[in-house]
Amino acid sequence: MERDGVLVMEHLKELISRFSCAYVEDYKKIWIKAKLNSKDDLLDVAKALQTEGLRSLSTVSPTDFAEDGIMEINYFFEDLDTKRNLWLKVDLPRDEAVCEIESLTPLFASANWHEREAYSMFGVRFLHHPDLRDIIKSEDFRDKYPFRVDFDWDAHEKETVANVQQIVDAFKKEQSENEVDLESDSSETILNWGPTHPASGPIRLRVHCDGEEIISIDPDIGYVWRALEHLVTKKDFIGAIVAVERLCFMDNINSMVGYAMAVEEIAGVTITPFASWMRVLLGETARISSHFMGMGVFFNNMGLHTLAMWNMDTREFFLDFLESYSGARIATAAIEPGGVRYGLDMRMFDELQKALDKFDANIDEVEAIFVKNPTMRMRAAEVGRLSADEIHMFGLSGIVARASGVKTDIRIDEPYAAYDKLDLEYITQERGSARDRFVMIFEELKSSVAIIKKAKQHIEEAVANGEMNPTKDHMVKVPKKLPKGEAISRVEWARGEVLMHLVTQEKAKSPYRLKMRAPSFNHTMMLDYLLRGQTLSDIPLIFGSLYVCQGDLDR
Amino acid sequence: MSELFFNAFVFPGLLYVLIWTVGLFWFFRKFMAALHKRVGPSFNGKAGSYQTLFDLSKLLTKESITPDGVNPYLFSIMPLLAVIVAMLPSAFIPWMDSFVVIKSDYGLLALVVLIGIEPFLLFLTGFGSHNKYSFLGGIRILTQAISMETAFVLAALSPAILFSTLNLSAIVEQSSWFSFLVLFPGFILYFIALLGLLEQPPFNIPDAEQEIVFGFYTEYSGTNYFLLQVAMFAEFMAVFAGAVTLFLGAYKGIFFDSYLFFFLKMLSIALVMMTIRAATPRITLSQMLNFSWKYMVPLALLNIAWIFFAKSLWFMGA
Repeated sequence: MERDGVLVMEHLKELISRFSCAYVEDYKKIWIKAKLNSKDDLLDVAKALQTEGLRSLSTVSPTDFAEDGIMEINYFFEDLDTKRNLWLKVDLPRDEAVCEIESLTPLFASANWHEREAYSMFGVRFLHHPDLRDIIKSEDFRDKYPFRVDFDWDAHEKETVANVQQIVDAFKKEQSENEVDLESDSSETILNWGPTHPASGPIRLRVHCDGEEIISIDPDIGYVWRALEHLVTKKDFIGAIVAVERLCFMDNINSMVGYAMAVEEIAGVTITPFASWMRVLLGETARISSHFMGMGVFFNNMGLHTLAMWNMDTREFFLDFLESYSGARIATAAIEPGGVRYGLDMRMFDELQKALDKFDANIDEVEAIFVKNPTMRMRAAEVGRLSADEIHMFGLSGIVARASGVKTDIRIDEPYAAYDKLDLEYITQERGSARDRFVMIFEELKSSVAIIKKAKQHIEEAVANGEMNPTKDHMVKVPKKLPKGEAISRVEWARGEVLMHLVTQEKAKSPYRLKMRAPSFNHTMMLDYLLRGQTLSDIPLIFGSLYVCQGDLDR
Repeated sequence: MSELFFNAFVFPGLLYVLIWTVGLFWFFRKFMAALHKRVGPSFNGKAGSYQTLFDLSKLLTKESITPDGVNPYLFSIMPLLAVIVAMLPSAFIPWMDSFVVIKSDYGLLALVVLIGIEPFLLFLTGFGSHNKYSFLGGIRILTQAISMETAFVLAALSPAILFSTLNLSAIVEQSSWFSFLVLFPGFILYFIALLGLLEQPPFNIPDAEQEIVFGFYTEYSGTNYFLLQVAMFAEFMAVFAGAVTLFLGAYKGIFFDSYLFFFLKMLSIALVMMTIRAATPRITLSQMLNFSWKYMVPLALLNIAWIFFAKSLWFMGA
């Protein structure tokens, strides 16, 4: 198997080498890193990669090197089946007038919003993009590119009143024009589903519908945009975790793990076994807390609040453990580059044991009443279906991908922390419907508890043997200043793949650029695709089943 | 005159409906909380029993906003009409032995018609709100009312056919354990149709908050919202009382006859309704239509046939 893997990687390398490249090199076990000499080759490379089987484009991430006058675009191509990945770079001139490149959206549907984001934030124009509009950023940033390093935030923020006025004007203009093009005697209308809708959260869907039937949906996102990717560049490497964990409050541990791994790679630091096991333990606890919410939201969106309440009841016990470890229930800031932030008092495991007991006592009831609920099956078993091909095409990950039978799980594909020492297996469902995604969350919840039990037992045994010292082993020193470099790291977050692309400059005290590729971005892109021709009743159901968190949608 | 005044404002009129609203509202919240593994209201009064009183009186003092662009008379008269129409059926209900406010040979007809008018008033609240979500809610409630009332009326007819009378008091007098068994399929159909009429899960489609915000309620606030809430609970009472009168023998008790039994029977219907509410997600409009016309209406017709059959077999002498 190992042998084959290497062969396949060599084949991919050879394929890239046919084009004119500055370099082609191995990166990690399942990545190849390459840089194209000319942006004109991009479309040909992309076509070749697609034929080769790398059908998903994870994200498009520009890095702005202002001093060199270069805008470097990073493409991350993935093959979810054979686990071969390509990190492709290409340089563009930085000048706004000529900063343009061919769009990959016609080839890779998943590139759509990612290219729009790169356009909005960096002003990179993608030629032949079907729908190159601003996304995420608010109206007051129109024709401004906030993530360019020379953007003057202070000047922008001095004009607060004018900015707010600009947002209000734009919204009013849009409302007045909404229905101008519709026939006056038809039953068509444009509904604002959100951002203050009971089931929407801070997102707005412009729903063009004919009575109850949906004609199209245009999501308007950015209501909780905090510019986290910019914020981290203003903080040191430790302080940045505060921004990183706010990707989404529900599973904050795993996003910090991803960031910490990228920093450790640049610093050349290896963490202790104790820290890696703790990352598994804490990460799965956070995953459980997130999955409990996700299951609750799914049923809430069908008008049944009982499951959410029951789940809250059990979830509190897991939060108790996080609190006893870090002092905070939600925003724990518990993972740092170099390990985990605190030592472990073994008595904290009593809290964890309480949570596990509570879970075991309740889970059968939840399965009998809710997972096997016949009314839920009637509503959800046929809607929102995604085939495996669509998963590849739209670059979906996490429970959404696995619910359609695609075997992808970064904990297994590219193990991090101590996941390689655990015997994990892919958990999948077959049909890819909204119900399958719900069942998927439930199954993964159970597997997470099993992982926690194993990790807890391993730590307890190792501490008893004297192999681990829980009060001293939690950190290794990471220098405050990092060398020039870049790294990517991927983690299996509660909602799917989080890819962090970290760039540092010489003697860096803070990140130069941190791209956080978050799964909800791709999943929200699917709303229009899945909901066309369905009825208004299916919006909350499918929206809930895609397990979207607005935090990582907007960042 | 004073008797009429008592009937209109105390029992079974305004005061009775208000106490019922406050009490049942509190009971719903407490019962729901237990099913949710929560505590529910607990600060004001014993076990939070004052809470709904405070909530409802708070609504009365809040600003009642009338949106731009609506007809203010239509917008504000509808909640008032909804309350009055929802309260009217209780005048025809035999609450106690030989206690009926309006003695009529056509009590059942009045009950069915008055319950049937209510959704149209609520549709008009949605229609008059000048809001897309309210309008969608109005359309939905009309769709649902038309489909569910067919089965509702057919189910409500079964005791009338069995006892050959539309007089509610006469129906109660003739009812027995045996007639309860004969009418049991009709009772089940009535109960399911009741869920649809009262917009309770799984048929809470017209005010589905995750889909269309709050349906026809969306634009209402303050006093108008208070009135709509009272109308909803008065409607609960009318429909529950209808079920108890038609199928469960009204005030007839085990050892003695009393209003107490009437109340307990209404409460047990409410309990079942709440338990379903805590365990069943909402279905879609098309599934509701399917269910209603493919299953409910044919079954209700079959039930009528069964009633005729049972009548010819056991009730011909009476």
